[in-house]
Amino acid sequence: MNPPLLSVEDLHVSFQTDEGLVEAVRGVSFDLGQGETLGIVGESGSGKSVTNLALMGLIPRPPGRIDRGSAKLAGRDLIQMSQKELMDVRGRRIGMIFQDPMTALNPLMTVGQQLTEVTRRHFGLSRAAAQTRAAEMLEMVGISAPESRLRDYPHQFSGGMRQRVMIAMALSCEPEILIADEPTTALDVTIQAQILELLGDLQRRRGTSIILVTHDLGVVAGICDRVLVMYAGRVVEQATVTELFASPRHPYTLGLLRSLPRLDRDHSLRLEAIPGQPPDMTRVPAGCSFRARCPVALARCADDTPPLREVATGRSSACWHDDARQPAGVASISPDPSPVAGG
Amino acid sequence: MSQTPILQVRHLQVHFPFSSGGFLRPVRGLIRAVDDISFEIAEGETLGLVGESGCGKSTTARAIVGLVKPTAGDILLEGQRISDLSERAMLPHRRVVQMVFQDPFASLNPRMTIGSIIGEPLRVHGLARGRDLQLEVLRLLDLVGLNPRFLNRYPHEFSGGQRQRIGIARALAVQPKVLLCDEPVSALDVSIQAQIINLLMDLQQQLGLSYLFIAHDLAVVRHIADRVGVMYLGRIVEMAAAAELYDHPLHPYTEALMSAVPIPDPVESAKRSRIVLKGEVPSPDREYPGCALADRCWLVEDRCRVDRPTLRNAVGREESAQQAACWVRCGERGDSLQDATGADS
Repeated sequence: MNPPLLSVEDLHVSFQTDEGLVEAVRGVSFDLGQGETLGIVGESGSGKSVTNLALMGLIPRPPGRIDRGSAKLAGRDLIQMSQKELMDVRGRRIGMIFQDPMTALNPLMTVGQQLTEVTRRHFGLSRAAAQTRAAEMLEMVGISAPESRLRDYPHQFSGGMRQRVMIAMALSCEPEILIADEPTTALDVTIQAQILELLGDLQRRRGTSIILVTHDLGVVAGICDRVLVMYAGRVVEQATVTELFASPRHPYTLGLLRSLPRLDRDHSLRLEAIPGQPPDMTRVPAGCSFRARCPVALARCADDTPPLREVATGRSSACWHDDARQPAGVASISPDPSPVAGG
Repeated sequence: MSQTPILQVRHLQVHFPFSSGGFLRPVRGLIRAVDDISFEIAEGETLGLVGESGCGKSTTARAIVGLVKPTAGDILLEGQRISDLSERAMLPHRRVVQMVFQDPFASLNPRMTIGSIIGEPLRVHGLARGRDLQLEVLRLLDLVGLNPRFLNRYPHEFSGGQRQRIGIARALAVQPKVLLCDEPVSALDVSIQAQIINLLMDLQQQLGLSYLFIAHDLAVVRHIADRVGVMYLGRIVEMAAAAELYDHPLHPYTEALMSAVPIPDPVESAKRSRIVLKGEVPSPDREYPGCALADRCWLVEDRCRVDRPTLRNAVGREESAQQAACWVRCGERGDSLQDATGADS
């Protein structure tokens, strides 16, 4: 197997807030392979966005701080890089698209000025060459009459079109990695479908690796290869997309999947909601952070934090139930009511 | 069927005039936010209203509670017209319909305690005072699953899900018969959404409420609604029982919308074929003489651009409760669709 393109190791990020210290990311590790689409799912406050901001060197300091950890992009640690070194990585080797293209684009600059800025900065293109390149990029993301649209300002584009502009900008330097943070959350479903199709298509053509941060499990199922599930600053489960949906290991993942109403299913009378709410990040209890909401919590969960351990080839989970995974235990938290054969 | 529906909306139009282009070259126009829609809700029923942003679903709800003034059309509560009543004459009717808003952060006054937020409608409508009011507020807190100890706390001390419970308690204070829920769970985290959906369904059972449930999340609407109306550019393009609409969408827009919803299952997801509509929802400041979807529809015919289709049953399915506004899919008695079948035989 090829070595991973990006390797994140034991990342810790904290923020000093009025309410106290928030440990937003508490020991996140993962690898991203060449041409892979990795989904990071979790609720608000789970640390999924902060993890990616840390990779890009975009954690505001203060109040934020990277306490520990490394993120090696082809052997070089992004966390140790100076801002100047990061400037050469951002946009060039790692592209980014954000949830809200209206706030990510500069309203006072034309789309053309913003698109040419990146290629001139990183490739040293001439004004004319950058202009041609920008028009090509707009065309690639499906914007018609690209030459004339370059002269338009962001407000002259619709939400879906602005997101296309963001994608064009992020890909114009042909980065190896594209980080997409909730890229379709602000968009309507039919426009979301267009954007996801575009991302998938671009990836197939260029082999870009994608980190897709989202709260939408439907989006994950549609385009990701592998998934990290985050809860309260930690990765609680990691698996290929097929395995995760077919047999979730962690009780939180299982709870999430069960609480979703689904279009393709006959709806039973009640949804199986996860009781309670995520912990207050200024006062995260010791032990497993999910235990207060967990239907199968053990006494041990209160004291010891379950580490993320490999439970099968290529998949890991952070739950003490993985220790004593007797057939009975499997059945009790398995989504499939049929008991495990043999026993 | 003889029973009067609790809420009837007839030919509702809400148009917003606008002017732009500056002082010297003013451009005037009309946004047709809601463009002639009709529907009714029976006692204890949930009608879902779905559609993309700008389709007019929220404006419809706001017109029903009087937050915006309808340009034309009638709104009837328990059979009585309320759309042309004065503010004062309207007050007793306001009790019948209450609204639950999307953003539980913006819809609660940050300087009022939970007790006074929930008690305010009781005072305004003169329903309770003093000790009675206090007891009623405690009962409401319990009804929505909040601890009575929270009475003197402020909104910022609560999570999103708890705030939405407070919003629901406030709406229920005046004992309404209809709740208009405008995206009540879309600002909430996935694990909290199901709690609020379950609460709304329990309350409906307990209190016999009717809901107009507005959401862009089609899976949530399928789960909670009995019937669903699909809106596009200010119009209802399809209306059907929830199961029927989702299993056999009739209108091309409904079909495209359904196929675009991501399904949280990689195996199912890979099996589905997606209909990707061309382009985006056009601006509602233009008048569309024909079907509003005509420019994006893959089934478009000449008459779609000229004649506006109205909601009708499909030919051969006159008994069904499913109606769509589509010339192609519904056919017309004695026209090309039947000719086509005639030619086949």
